[in-house]
Amino acid sequence: MKTNQKKAWLFLAPTIIFVTLFSIYPILRAFGMSFQGGSLIDLHWNGFSNYQYIFNDPEFWLAIKNTVLYAVISVPVGLAISIMLAWIIFDKVKHKSFFETTFFMPYVTSTIAIGIVFRYIFNGDYGMLNFLLRSLHLPAPDWIDDPAMSLTTIIIFGIWSSLAFNIVILMGALRNIDPNFYTIADMYGASGRDKFWRITMPELVPTIAFLLTMNVIGAFKIYTSVYALFNGQAGVGNSGTTAVFYIYNKFQIVGTPGVAMAATVILFLIILFATFLQRKMMKKVGEN
Amino acid sequence: MNFSKKLATFAVASLALIGTAACSNNNNSSSSSSSKIPKVTQKTTVVFWHGMQGSQEKTLKSLAQDFENKNPKIKIKLEQQGDYDNLQSKITSTLQSPKNLPTITQAYPGWLESAAKNKMLVDLKPYINNKDVGWGSVEASGIKTDMLNGAQIKGTQYGIPFNKSIEVLIYNPKMLKRYGVTKVPTTMSEVKAAAQTIYEKSNHRVVGAGFDDLDNYYVLGMKNQGEDFSSKINFTGTKSRKLLNYFIAGEKAGYFRMPGSDKYLYIPFTNEKLAMFVTSSSTETWIKQAAKKGFNYEVAARPSKYTMSQGTDIYMFSHASAMQKAAAFKFMKYLSSKESQIKWAKETGYIPVNEAATKSDTYKSNKDFKLPAKLEDILNANSLYSVPVIKDSSATFSQLTPIMQSILSAAQKNRNVEKAITTGKNKFNAAWQQ
Repeated sequence: MKTNQKKAWLFLAPTIIFVTLFSIYPILRAFGMSFQGGSLIDLHWNGFSNYQYIFNDPEFWLAIKNTVLYAVISVPVGLAISIMLAWIIFDKVKHKSFFETTFFMPYVTSTIAIGIVFRYIFNGDYGMLNFLLRSLHLPAPDWIDDPAMSLTTIIIFGIWSSLAFNIVILMGALRNIDPNFYTIADMYGASGRDKFWRITMPELVPTIAFLLTMNVIGAFKIYTSVYALFNGQAGVGNSGTTAVFYIYNKFQIVGTPGVAMAATVILFLIILFATFLQRKMMKKVGEN
Repeated sequence: MNFSKKLATFAVASLALIGTAACSNNNNSSSSSSSKIPKVTQKTTVVFWHGMQGSQEKTLKSLAQDFENKNPKIKIKLEQQGDYDNLQSKITSTLQSPKNLPTITQAYPGWLESAAKNKMLVDLKPYINNKDVGWGSVEASGIKTDMLNGAQIKGTQYGIPFNKSIEVLIYNPKMLKRYGVTKVPTTMSEVKAAAQTIYEKSNHRVVGAGFDDLDNYYVLGMKNQGEDFSSKINFTGTKSRKLLNYFIAGEKAGYFRMPGSDKYLYIPFTNEKLAMFVTSSSTETWIKQAAKKGFNYEVAARPSKYTMSQGTDIYMFSHASAMQKAAAFKFMKYLSSKESQIKWAKETGYIPVNEAATKSDTYKSNKDFKLPAKLEDILNANSLYSVPVIKDSSATFSQLTPIMQSILSAAQKNRNVEKAITTGKNKFNAAWQQ
């Protein structure tokens, strides 16, 4: 039987130690803490009460609902728009590098800074968006201060900010498609639509699978953009609260780390399940 | 032993070593506060965590500098930790590694309940009674008794009051006159009547009144009806309903308002879109910054029996050396002295914690702010109340603003208010049982 080289362990040791210390140990510690009550300096065994607490806390369910809705809406929509824009830039536009740079710029800008700018754009009284909507005689909702609009605002912001990274990665993938495929398709008289659906999309599947995984995980961990959009709160009446916002609040502000860790474990399970589902789905798409 | 076993042994040993080191940090914090208080004879550094910004931070720096000049052996290292939320979370997360805590920190007592329980704070009574670093007795400190009591946790004097403010009514006298309100409201029903008049007579252009802190609105509203802030409050009970309905009716009709995502009402107030509002007395600083030249405002007592005494105290952690503690207390004493409090109040708008400072002519004649001349009258009209330091009170208090926001925005947008109240009740009850 073939065995691993012993020396390999030596080279892997630093990574193994660091991963154990800073990734595996915290996960196990979080799991352990989720069964403990009291403050950080006074932890004691608490059984399942933290789980009982979060399952009875309406704020937790709102946080999970918002997070799931955000992930389910913003990721596919953001990805679809990214594919469309990347395809347009790749196929139809001259001076590609200029547009590529322009689209990438938000990625290298701080989310907090962008969030503050968006807070002004979205402002119900003097925001640019409502000014445009009013001039087109369209309804101008109160994007920031109406609790019913909080999630919509977060989703719009989330879609916009996901474009940068997605487009750059997709452009890379588009460049890697063998141009001979298109030449042969042209020889057989394939239409633009045929080429897109029968060559481009199948070739993009691995990249889309990668982006989908990254975006879904990122979406479940949303925090900074909510913080920036609503000036440090989770929207009026905590209407835009998310799972990470809930965890942070319980850990740092309320001072109940056990409750925060119970919520972390649930969020971990949700992300695990979503990633698993998605991988299955993409595998199926890849096979077809 | 083969190589992989050796490696595994090494990894386990390293983890055990790190674990032991981490655990050993936990037991260093049990020093006693009652041991002998030394004189500061050597160079000593006092680290002070605070959440002061802008002119407040500038004044604090200048006070620290002045103290250092008078006490050359003591160095005050001011460490700004962001706003109050940031400061609170920094303290909460550092409590588990006491060596990284500062000597003293600004804090609300509710933030430090578990630190007090775990003997991580210094009982300041011996320091207060010490004639060298303290005053010799509580009475000699000259600090207002109710404020000093507010800095106790479960009956122990862990804190010394520092930056204090109270809730007051700030109004635009010109606007009140313009819309025929001749008397400044002194009761909540007068506030309602005046707000309705202003809103109607201004053709709905000016909102009559607002409340900046929705958490205070609820807590004081209940206290004014005889109910202390505790888990015994029935959120859908008669008293609570009465309190909620008062604001809901105003939001529905448009004569009352709460702050939006801009967080504070001084913005619409200085833009003359709001005629009066109940807010912290320290808001005066922001009004002065935001108002255009010629804008006039006045300060009056909160139109209720009780008003909120808010703002932080200074607490000392027990991990510090005896000399650091002595030096830190000297600095705390200096900050609460008459002269320092007059300077602090003059430049920041906070109210003095020192009785003599409040009564001094220098303070009263301060023309930069409206409050100093009226503070004594206001304190005679209002009784002070602060959020009780009991289990989960701080956490529940922080939930009140979002709960109230949900209810009031439902009223404002003509949505289902009853549903928002029921959800609010569930959240309120859940917050008391963390």
